[in-house]
Amino acid sequence: MASFDITDPNSFFKEQIIETLRLVMDPELHINIIDLGLVYGIEIDSPKKQIQVQMTLSSSYCPMGESIVSAVKNCIEGHYEGYTTNIDLVLEPVWSYNNISDEGKRLLRI
Amino acid sequence: MSGIKQNPGLYKIVVTHYVTAAFCFSALSVMMLCSVKAFTGHYFHPQILAITHMAALGWGTMIILGASYQLIPVVLETELYSERLAWISFALFMPGLIALVYSFWVFVPGIHMQCGAILLLLAVVLFTVNVYLTAKKKKQQTIQEDFIFSACICLCLTIALGAALVFNFTLSIFPQDHLHFLKLHAHMGLIGWFLLMLIGVSSKLVPMFLVSSYQSTKLLTYSYYLIVGALLYFLVDSYLFGLSLRTYLIFAIGTAGLTCYFIFILKCLRSRLRKHIDLPMMNSFLSFILLKIATLTVPFIIYFYLRNNPVTIRFSMIYGEFMLMGWITALILGQTFKTLPFIVWVKHYEHLTGKFKTPMPADLFSNNLLKAQTVSYLIFCVTFMPGCYLLFMPLIYVGVAALMITAMLYLSNIFIVLFHKTKTYGKL
Repeated sequence: MASFDITDPNSFFKEQIIETLRLVMDPELHINIIDLGLVYGIEIDSPKKQIQVQMTLSSSYCPMGESIVSAVKNCIEGHYEGYTTNIDLVLEPVWSYNNISDEGKRLLRI
Repeated sequence: MSGIKQNPGLYKIVVTHYVTAAFCFSALSVMMLCSVKAFTGHYFHPQILAITHMAALGWGTMIILGASYQLIPVVLETELYSERLAWISFALFMPGLIALVYSFWVFVPGIHMQCGAILLLLAVVLFTVNVYLTAKKKKQQTIQEDFIFSACICLCLTIALGAALVFNFTLSIFPQDHLHFLKLHAHMGLIGWFLLMLIGVSSKLVPMFLVSSYQSTKLLTYSYYLIVGALLYFLVDSYLFGLSLRTYLIFAIGTAGLTCYFIFILKCLRSRLRKHIDLPMMNSFLSFILLKIATLTVPFIIYFYLRNNPVTIRFSMIYGEFMLMGWITALILGQTFKTLPFIVWVKHYEHLTGKFKTPMPADLFSNNLLKAQTVSYLIFCVTFMPGCYLLFMPLIYVGVAALMITAMLYLSNIFIVLFHKTKTYGKL
């Protein structure tokens, strides 16, 4: 799960990116990918202007996988001009119910 | 991780199958209107044979083939082996279907019927080869793969036996009665093809659409072996000895397999994260109820058959109607609006997501039309099936009229999805 680290000089920028990624919605569940817990981590290489997003999908055979990945890329590159984004799509750890934030659970009425 | 990409070629194949199936469904409802009286007689009737093959091949199989080209790569987590094979299969399937259905309708078991059967056989063999070569690319084997591949084999065997039966009209290949093989042909198709394929695909899709946390495939494994075991036992036993008291045992084995699948679906439903169940999924759950009703008629068919009671024909008709026009139709009517909007949405919006606010896949079809379609289909179910059992013509007429309305609404909604114009609601 993406978390805030005060010792990391990019922390505020990472938080900003996380907030930006709340705009990316899961097309089936209609909740954003941050509250769904799909984003595992964000790494920023400021000198090279590169952003690396480590994320997963709610199922490994998700037919909307490509769309969600391209939405993440488009969203970051649209909001942070000059930055390029790489998506590292991972299978482990497998996404589960526990990844969903409290806000996500509220939206899903769990 | 999923790397399935939508490409224009695949999109055209899938959409062509969906549209053709929707037209076949409309044609089917018209054919049923023209042969209402035939539903009060024996199932071995030219018009009933034509309608059954239009329903099983033009409607059920056509849409499953189309959906398979989109979903099998998803389920098997690899890309489709060949789009060209898919097109050739479609090009053989369509004339084969038309020739076969027309020949049954006018009942001329000559060269047209034989050519139709051969074309259909070639088409499904190509489809099976395509699925096999797609699955071969993948290292890890899943129970869904077993379901899907067994279903494809059964489809080929069903059509091969069907083709042999067509030739048997003029060449007398089989020493036994035509009806003896008809039940083997029908069950290889209904259980071997439709049931195995729909369990294989739905066991991946239902948990995915419900976002279910239930992951175990143990129940599906039991289901697979019990259903395949029951089917093989039925085919051999029924071929050698016909229906007997053993058929009850076979039915029990098959029902146990089906029950495992239902428990799997129930567990997915209970552990779902998505609490709201939308209308397409409601239609799918209705289909499971109709499948259960169809299953419940089987002991009556066996019971009356063993007592040489002609009521067995009525129950056989009801069984076939609940399977084809109930379970399979309800599932398609629902799942079309889960799968097609996604396919079209990806084409229109994949490059725009993350940049602009876009409609969601569920916004691509008219929910009101889907509601009306569901109501008219329910009217069909509660009038047509009882009407056929009671031999009450007004009920059959109401049912067929409701089915025609269902088909029109379904077709209209398909076109609403397909003719969707890309729109955005401002920048993100």
